[in-house]
Amino acid sequence: MSGSAPEGAGENVEYRVAHFRDRLAAEELGELGVRAEVRPGAVVVSGTVPSAECRETVLRTVREELAGLAVHTDVLVAETATPDHAEELP
Amino acid sequence: MIRVAAVGDIHMGPESQGVLRPAFDTLSDCADLLLLAGDLTRHGTPEEARVVAQEVRDLPVPVVAVLGNHDHHDEQPEKVAALLEDAGVRVLEGEGTVVECGGTRVGVAGTKGFGGGFVGRSAGEFGEPLMKEFVRYSRRCADGLRSALEELGRQDCAARVALTHFSPVADTLAGEPLEIYPFLGSYLLAEAIDTAGADLSVHGHAHAGSEHGMTAGGVRVRNVAQPVIRRAFNVYHLHEN
Repeated sequence: MSGSAPEGAGENVEYRVAHFRDRLAAEELGELGVRAEVRPGAVVVSGTVPSAECRETVLRTVREELAGLAVHTDVLVAETATPDHAEELP
Repeated sequence: MIRVAAVGDIHMGPESQGVLRPAFDTLSDCADLLLLAGDLTRHGTPEEARVVAQEVRDLPVPVVAVLGNHDHHDEQPEKVAALLEDAGVRVLEGEGTVVECGGTRVGVAGTKGFGGGFVGRSAGEFGEPLMKEFVRYSRRCADGLRSALEELGRQDCAARVALTHFSPVADTLAGEPLEIYPFLGSYLLAEAIDTAGADLSVHGHAHAGSEHGMTAGGVRVRNVAQPVIRRAFNVYHLHEN
């Protein structure tokens, strides 16, 4: 007798998050640095991406892949300022 | 004193042109050379490599780079390296180069490196051919780094820097999930650095890691992934003994 399946694999949050990360890597972003974690009641998507365009692509992919889920996003654009000091290494 | 600027994981794409150049143009004020610690592109395509090449062409300081895993994704790393070399970048893989900095010779040895993990939690050269090749490839990268550092040791350098993309230590991975450490670096790189000797080890790859670490042999390690340092580059002042 096979085990019961309370929800289809396609609706399982963990697998949806895994597929979301697969898409980020496979599509135009080639993005491996964005983390997506399942927390109680929400998915947290966080990381730093190279440009504002990349951030928009991540957020669009969130909307498409994780539709219907509560998602907290904390996706930053990499900073490009000149350093204001050096580290001394004696 | 030698002023080493470094950044990795800049992941440039078509819309990136000019983003880092204003900061890079200030390098002559604060650095003697610029190290690029891999993942300079997103997919390793020639188009992306041309963006990087244009960004660093004719900079006021010498530029030395290694490639990262992203720069291999399109499976033409030689083309990526050639485009960067055409722009004046010295791209290292299992080799070293000597940079003259105001009369001081600085040796840089580089390899992309690879994963496998850290002592007590590392992959072994055992079992399926793919698994054995995984570890052997990591070992070849580390061997190339060691021999390059040893060669630089015979070239009257005031300082030697090990430049990698993957991390030689777990210290600078702090912040990353423990489960993925074996994909972020290998102790074989640290063993190579400690065996041959170096004054500084610079790497990228671990976006959620931390900047500071040290090998078991006492060589300082810095993770310069752009998301970690949160700047266009960091500068390290190496003081000669």
